[in-house]
Amino acid sequence: MKRVVSVSLGSTKRDHKVTVKLLGEEFEIARMGTDGDFNRALELLKELDGKVDAIGLGGIDVYLFVKEKRYAIQDGLKLMDAVKITPVVDGSGLKNTLEREVVRMLAAETGLLKKGTRVLMVSSVDRFGMAEALAEIGCEMTFGDLIFTAGIPYPIMTMDELEEIANRLLPEITKMPFHLVYPTGKKQESQDESKVQKFAHFYHNAEVIAGDFHLIRRFMPSGMNGQTILTNTTTSDDIEFLREKGVGTLVTTTPEYEGRSFGTNVMEAALVAILGKQWDQISAQDYLDLLHRLNFRPRILKLGT
Amino acid sequence: MATHLEIKDSLQTFTDNFNKNDRLKIMNRDWNRVVVVKATDIESIHTWTLKDGVLALKEGEAGDPDLTVISDSETLSDVFYGDVTPIEPYNNGTLRIMGSEDDITRLDFICLMIWGE
Repeated sequence: MKRVVSVSLGSTKRDHKVTVKLLGEEFEIARMGTDGDFNRALELLKELDGKVDAIGLGGIDVYLFVKEKRYAIQDGLKLMDAVKITPVVDGSGLKNTLEREVVRMLAAETGLLKKGTRVLMVSSVDRFGMAEALAEIGCEMTFGDLIFTAGIPYPIMTMDELEEIANRLLPEITKMPFHLVYPTGKKQESQDESKVQKFAHFYHNAEVIAGDFHLIRRFMPSGMNGQTILTNTTTSDDIEFLREKGVGTLVTTTPEYEGRSFGTNVMEAALVAILGKQWDQISAQDYLDLLHRLNFRPRILKLGT
Repeated sequence: MATHLEIKDSLQTFTDNFNKNDRLKIMNRDWNRVVVVKATDIESIHTWTLKDGVLALKEGEAGDPDLTVISDSETLSDVFYGDVTPIEPYNNGTLRIMGSEDDITRLDFICLMIWGE
């Protein structure tokens, strides 16, 4: 049996372990949270190094892509550098391939995404592939990176402006302590009430809210009216949360195992374990071919009317 | 070591760049804040008042600032002239900012919107 572990800066409440069969081989896939404790995450990574087949880093990104440019988050690199033997991934490779595919699939096979659909991406620099794919099919985009990361109520409406601002900010933002720009640990279990109120109209005006689930959850207001959420990591509690808020449909880009979808870092780690290659030698096409062989499909869950 | 006049000039340069950047003014229409900037190695204190998207600078200290930026004179003038970004001196402790985490993050973003790549 192959073992894949995701070490996350997120809450231990979301810890989970399942055994699944992928291409005829058994995998034990586990997620271990550290409640935002950076040093605990470092220790855990060192403990696991050499003892499992692949490691995913959760609750933090290491690489952010803006078209061909790649920016490395310094705190993420520190975690990655703690692992010397086992392949370690942050999910960014899979996001860039799988999430583009999911958007195209939803546009081609469902009525959830089409030209003119109003989409709010709470954060797009962590999933630029999804942002590009949504823009390509003609969705009316609102990129909320400045709103939900820095509290600046400035919606970015075009890919050109997103690219310009991202290239201006990311070289330095990636050096900031990660907890200043992303909810880690216990913050993932609560909402930022003042910003929920202040930025509610961005949620209410959208038909689809896409992006990182922790950000979506932290700022989601009540009174949603049947919107679709396009994200990846959700638990059964998250689904209940979305239902109570009035969300209509949940789409998760990664498949469901035992009632929850794992983060892209976990799935990418599993794919790396199957491929048996060094991470830097794996191409987007390798991931795509494997995703097709595994028949990965997004999960579409109707939550309400 | 920078002089009081150099710090004042760097802060005025920053103020002018902020006020001529229409996008930055729109971004910060909702953010009314008082920011005090203090040097540790010379007598030099300034106060920024940001109101309705317009930034104003004056010498001296305000009574109840939302944010207080503290560093040596050289670092302050380097940061506000745009010769260095605030992130590195903030991370290594040379630059201290007292205030809420949200306000600190927002101030960093504003600096980068003015001086970023």
